[in-house]
Amino acid sequence: MLQYAVRRTLWLIPVLWGVATITFVLMHSVPGGPWDREKTLPLTVQQNLNRRYGLDKPVWQQYFRFLAGVARGDLGVSYTYQDREVVSIIAGGLPVTATVGLTAFTLAILVGVPLGLAAALRQNSLLDYVSVLFATSFASIPGFVLGILLIILFSVTLHLLPTGGWGSVKQVIMPAAALGALPAAWAARLTRASVLEVVGQDYVRTAYAKGLPDRVIYYRHILRNALIPVITIMGIELAALVTGSFIIENLFSIPGVGRLFVQGVFQRDYGLIMGSVLFYAFVVALLNLAVDLLYGVVDPRVRYR
Amino acid sequence: MRRLLGSMLLLVALSFLSGACAAAGPTPTPTSGVALATNQELRSNLAGEPDNIDPNRASFSHEITVVKQVFEGLLSFDDQLAVVPVVANEVPTVANGGISSDGLTYTFKLRSGVKWSDGKPVTAKDFEYSVKRMLKPETASDYASFYYDIKGALELNSAQATTDALLSALGVQAVDESTLRVTLASPRPAFLQIMALWSVYPVRQDIIEKFADKWTEPPNYVGNGPYVLKEWVHQDHITLEANPNYWGTKPKLQKIVLKMMADENAALAAYKNNEMELVAVPAGGEKAIFDDPVLNNQSLRYPDLVTFALQFNVKKPPFDNKAVRQALSKAIDREAFINQVRRGVGRPTTSWIPPGMPGFDANLGSGNRLNVAAAKDGLAKAGYSDLTKLPPITFQFTDTTGNRTIAQFVQAQFKQNLGIDIKLEPMESKAFQQLIKDNNINNMAFLGWGADYPDPDNWLPELFGTGAGNNHTNYSNPEFDKLAEQAKKELDNTKRLQLWDQAQKLVVDDAPVVFLFNRERFWLKKPNTAGLKTTGMDGFVPGDWFLEQGYITK
Repeated sequence: MLQYAVRRTLWLIPVLWGVATITFVLMHSVPGGPWDREKTLPLTVQQNLNRRYGLDKPVWQQYFRFLAGVARGDLGVSYTYQDREVVSIIAGGLPVTATVGLTAFTLAILVGVPLGLAAALRQNSLLDYVSVLFATSFASIPGFVLGILLIILFSVTLHLLPTGGWGSVKQVIMPAAALGALPAAWAARLTRASVLEVVGQDYVRTAYAKGLPDRVIYYRHILRNALIPVITIMGIELAALVTGSFIIENLFSIPGVGRLFVQGVFQRDYGLIMGSVLFYAFVVALLNLAVDLLYGVVDPRVRYR
Repeated sequence: MRRLLGSMLLLVALSFLSGACAAAGPTPTPTSGVALATNQELRSNLAGEPDNIDPNRASFSHEITVVKQVFEGLLSFDDQLAVVPVVANEVPTVANGGISSDGLTYTFKLRSGVKWSDGKPVTAKDFEYSVKRMLKPETASDYASFYYDIKGALELNSAQATTDALLSALGVQAVDESTLRVTLASPRPAFLQIMALWSVYPVRQDIIEKFADKWTEPPNYVGNGPYVLKEWVHQDHITLEANPNYWGTKPKLQKIVLKMMADENAALAAYKNNEMELVAVPAGGEKAIFDDPVLNNQSLRYPDLVTFALQFNVKKPPFDNKAVRQALSKAIDREAFINQVRRGVGRPTTSWIPPGMPGFDANLGSGNRLNVAAAKDGLAKAGYSDLTKLPPITFQFTDTTGNRTIAQFVQAQFKQNLGIDIKLEPMESKAFQQLIKDNNINNMAFLGWGADYPDPDNWLPELFGTGAGNNHTNYSNPEFDKLAEQAKKELDNTKRLQLWDQAQKLVVDDAPVVFLFNRERFWLKKPNTAGLKTTGMDGFVPGDWFLEQGYITK
């Protein structure tokens, strides 16, 4: 398993290189550049800006300069934000996004999985219908709509929570709820479907026949097997949650990393775009690897070669 | 080039300048007899992280809002947008010997006792350093070109790299501790207004050299204005506090918090939740405010030095024909747009220079107002009585909610009044900006312009001069060029403004652009917030030239 993990980690290098190259090419082929403004800047000023950021060099030189920087762990500077280093911009936003993302994720698991399990074990009961209603509603309400509804209810009407910003626990609640609702709904639906499938398996019938207590059957025989598809989906979901959501971060004015990439693209901030894409790709690849390794823990049939 | 425009501006609402003085802001209420709240804190929204709060490099309105609180220049504007002395002890004139009779040498005498926030005295050296740094090509200042009339400035700024020779040839010199002399290469009567802009606020050489790119972070960000930068939580908020070493009248507002809420509706919700004293009304949200008796009473509305228009590629048919351009102007009911679409917010216009600054002429272009019969007649005379002969017309614009309503309105007007079908082409902002930059308008595009400084000098040559940087219509009229060349240098102010008048008349008559409306700023202000003085040149936050005069009542 260790060997597998190392091999997979090494594979990250060509994957990230590919992602960086594709992004670089795309970035330079879209119309508009970082210095295009509503009022056109004089040519002299554009030239000075290009020189300051090395954009006066041929594109291939810029590409290799960027790769050389990445190899040293230097993602370059942002073109829009006062020459701040992309690494420090991402490092500044990451704890914020991670806090909201992990809270949302925990919420999704803590609400979704038990709800799905309970619904499956009491199929066609009132609880099951409530669970289906919950899952369908939250799967169909977009996060930003839910976010606005939360703001109207808890901030504008009840004056219980601040509308946004960052710095206190109160400011985590609404964005985490808005962000976590959809994955919670998915977790509930997936768990329910998956448990129903497992419940019909022979080994579950065998366990009942052996006279094992319900608790043991639920946890050891049903849940553990039923969680495999849930882990797959939730692993990907976790990657999305910890890399942030542009919409939710914008709505709640959270200084996280989710906004950076989108802002970078709008501003043609080449430095910020390349940095965020690499960061995003790295996190997704890493969490995919973690999911693959987790399979082995929950499912003994999985072998790593 | 403060890029324009709230309504139009992109997602990141980095809006620009604003507007006007005839109708300038409310007279400040006298504070005597008013009970002040103990907590003198004003909270508002910048709508986004400033890219840059280095005075020499800042160019967007929300950046300038911050710079103006922490720094003060030699000159500034009063609430009627007249140039007034701040760190200078008077505005240089020929009469007081501050300007040489040939209009080439400006001598600024510094007031004594002006201090930096760390207690050191502000000297003429600090101004010399600032101007030189701003013009160095390495600094890559957006506004550098505004100062090209200074002797040697163009040469320095367009060089590959700064050299000692270029620096010493630059016409900026601290003669002594309290005297700054600036020498121009050619006369430029608008130069005093240009010297009142933030780009030449003083900056500290020792601090910039010590902290390099980190100098704009607290506590390094040492200024000479009424506030100091207490905290900058990136992407979240900036906190300013009263500067204990401020040399002028101590501000009543002790604390200013500027949040970076990019979502206008979320910011409005925060205002309703009492998290802010001052917030912008989202584009399209006007009616909701008028319908709410409480919020309606908190309206803060004032005109802005911003004009919106349609611009044409005058090299391509059908817009190579002046009669067609004028006909289209007569086919647009601007009053209906302002009254019905914008709920009365804004001012219809048929000329370029907005009210509130020299050069405004209320009657100019009245012949181009709505007149459907004349419009049809004009098209027929231009040879387009058969509309099928018209080449296809597309209207290109940056895709924002505000712009869409404008585009759809114009489209409907042309259809209804002339029977012409135009195609709308909404574009992503940078793609549109590149199109404009390359003078590549298909045939018709949206245009907005906000004042960098309140003078026709900033409104005409840059857009309508042959080959000028922001002339994207390919318009060229030698007569206009001649007038502009004269007006730029004319030292007699009355004569100068007359020349600009003539130049504007040419543009209105030639109609390379069709004028639509002037912007009106629409914000909300809590009843306890007083003393704000708005102008047509405000940055992002209303009243930001004089925020230190604001206060919070009980």
